[in-house]
Amino acid sequence: MAGHKKYDRVAKVFDCFRKGDMRRWGPAQRKLFRQMQGNVLHIGVGTGMEIINFPPGLNITGIDLSPKMLERALWRGKQYQGKIRFCLMNSESLAFPDNTFDTIVTVCVFCTVAHPVQGLKECGRVLKPGGKLLMFEHVMSKNLVYGLSLKFMSLFTGAIEGTRLDRDTVENVRKAGFRVKSEQNVYLDIVKTIEGVQ
Amino acid sequence: MNFKNIDWLIGTFSGIIIAFTVSQTIPAHWNMFLAMAVGGGIGMVLQFILLILLAPFFGAFEVMIPVSIIAMVVGMLSGMAAGSVPGECITATGGILGLTVAILIYFSNKKLLS
Repeated sequence: MAGHKKYDRVAKVFDCFRKGDMRRWGPAQRKLFRQMQGNVLHIGVGTGMEIINFPPGLNITGIDLSPKMLERALWRGKQYQGKIRFCLMNSESLAFPDNTFDTIVTVCVFCTVAHPVQGLKECGRVLKPGGKLLMFEHVMSKNLVYGLSLKFMSLFTGAIEGTRLDRDTVENVRKAGFRVKSEQNVYLDIVKTIEGVQ
Repeated sequence: MNFKNIDWLIGTFSGIIIAFTVSQTIPAHWNMFLAMAVGGGIGMVLQFILLILLAPFFGAFEVMIPVSIIAMVVGMLSGMAAGSVPGECITATGGILGLTVAILIYFSNKKLLS
């Protein structure tokens, strides 16, 4: 699958670099994930670090385009008290029929998806009418100082691992045809929870 | 874990490290503008090192935003002062500026979360 190599390369150190984020964001993630229900699609499951924050008893499908990341997610999946399966898949072309899922969850994914609006439109396609899109994402700040810092760092993160720190993901959600039901700041106006409905 | 204290400590520590390094690197006879530019550059390099060392423990964005601001401000000011102010004073000022930036971001965050 195209584009997976850079994520395969960072799979070994991914957990180490995200440990601090998980410590900070755990409570906010658990609060957002309480809304998960029914048949759930987790886009960009990575090494499965967020699984620990999911409520039990759900039927979850986790997708990622990196085989090495998914290998590491397997043991976390086994510890989950509910159904969970993993699929190797690109979020821009989901291999699921229309109206399959009740909830779609993303965590820091739409900073790396090459064509975010296309990926979000795919979410809209596989989400059942009335289904929820729950996103925990970092976005571009509206504050000039923070924004400049993000723009500058984005030059490096974009080149190294394809992560853009300057995306307006909330606007992209709207462009993809969702209504933004809620948008809450977790850290400054950079890390946010976003709830979209169709 | 008390992240407020940790963030303030990271700000102070980053300011001290950047100010000390710049004050020890830039020769006293340099033109002030050149010293300011090089000081800012050194600050940016140190910013990446600090980010790699601290982000895995304390969170990427929570480290990146304050440290990048501190690196630019403290790096440039320390560079300008390197020719005329003793190194200890530059280092202490760097620490105070780092702490100030961390406190300002703390209150900015509180406001944005309310």
